[in-house]
Amino acid sequence: MAYDVKAVKKQWEGYETPLAWGRYPVEHEPIRRHCHMLDDTNPLFLEDGHCPPVMVDYFASLGPYPPADYDIFPVIAKIPTPGNRLINLNQEFEWHLPVKVGDRLGSSHKVVAIHQRGTRLDPLSVWIRTETTIVNDRRALVAKRTNQILVHRTPEEIAAGTSRA
Amino acid sequence: MSAGGHSPGPRWQDVREGEELKGFSLDLTATRMAAQVSGTQDFYPVHHDGDFARAAGHKDIFVNTAFIRGCLCRVATDWMGAEGFLKSLAFQMRRPNFAGETIAARGRVKKKGPEGRVDLELWIENAGEVTVPATATVLLPLRS
Repeated sequence: MAYDVKAVKKQWEGYETPLAWGRYPVEHEPIRRHCHMLDDTNPLFLEDGHCPPVMVDYFASLGPYPPADYDIFPVIAKIPTPGNRLINLNQEFEWHLPVKVGDRLGSSHKVVAIHQRGTRLDPLSVWIRTETTIVNDRRALVAKRTNQILVHRTPEEIAAGTSRA
Repeated sequence: MSAGGHSPGPRWQDVREGEELKGFSLDLTATRMAAQVSGTQDFYPVHHDGDFARAAGHKDIFVNTAFIRGCLCRVATDWMGAEGFLKSLAFQMRRPNFAGETIAARGRVKKKGPEGRVDLELWIENAGEVTVPATATVLLPLRS
């Protein structure tokens, strides 16, 4: 049976998760690991406890992925698609407030759009656009983020002509 | 060494369109790939398990989204200093940056807007190819 992208769009576009709080508050040690990863010696992050802007979704998440239901992955996994391999293609962030060590962040996710378009990885690739809203413990908007996710099959699944949905 | 830090950074009036931002290079060694997993807590195997990555049709493991955007963010935050505010960042990952390769994160001032706004053009280079084009907007303090 062919993949029915129209039915999937109808069921999933507009789906939103409830606000979920990060596993722990903004902490210094993860910020330092982030900086070490990039040879970033900025003392605002390493010493003063400013959160690098791109880490706000990290602190709004439920922990490492896997096994935790990290960020948008559990939402993507629920959407029927021919494959289950993921690639994040594009991302956009807009920040509204700075964040520091001790702040508590939470997030909610929304499925904005789903469509099917073949790629060099898989002629049945599915493109899923999501929007994430991140707030602090006063429920003030900290950041908005959008992602363009590509979901594809493995070469073996393509060769065998199998589809998970 | 990061340039930003406690320095207040540039005033909006002093910024010139076309000005280059100080970038940096990173070798994507096995150690760096391990640091990537530690720094992002992203354990999706395509970023650390070569067999898994190749079975999915990729040449090898490649750095994840959080690593890439961290590089882009660092170029901006190094430049804007303690008093700037990163307002937005958008990027496209045109092709993966694989283990064993060397990437460079670069940037320049694209346009000055009103009231401290500065639009930046950022990118990740790999062997002379732009693998990740990006744009960002920062808000800088005004010189009174």
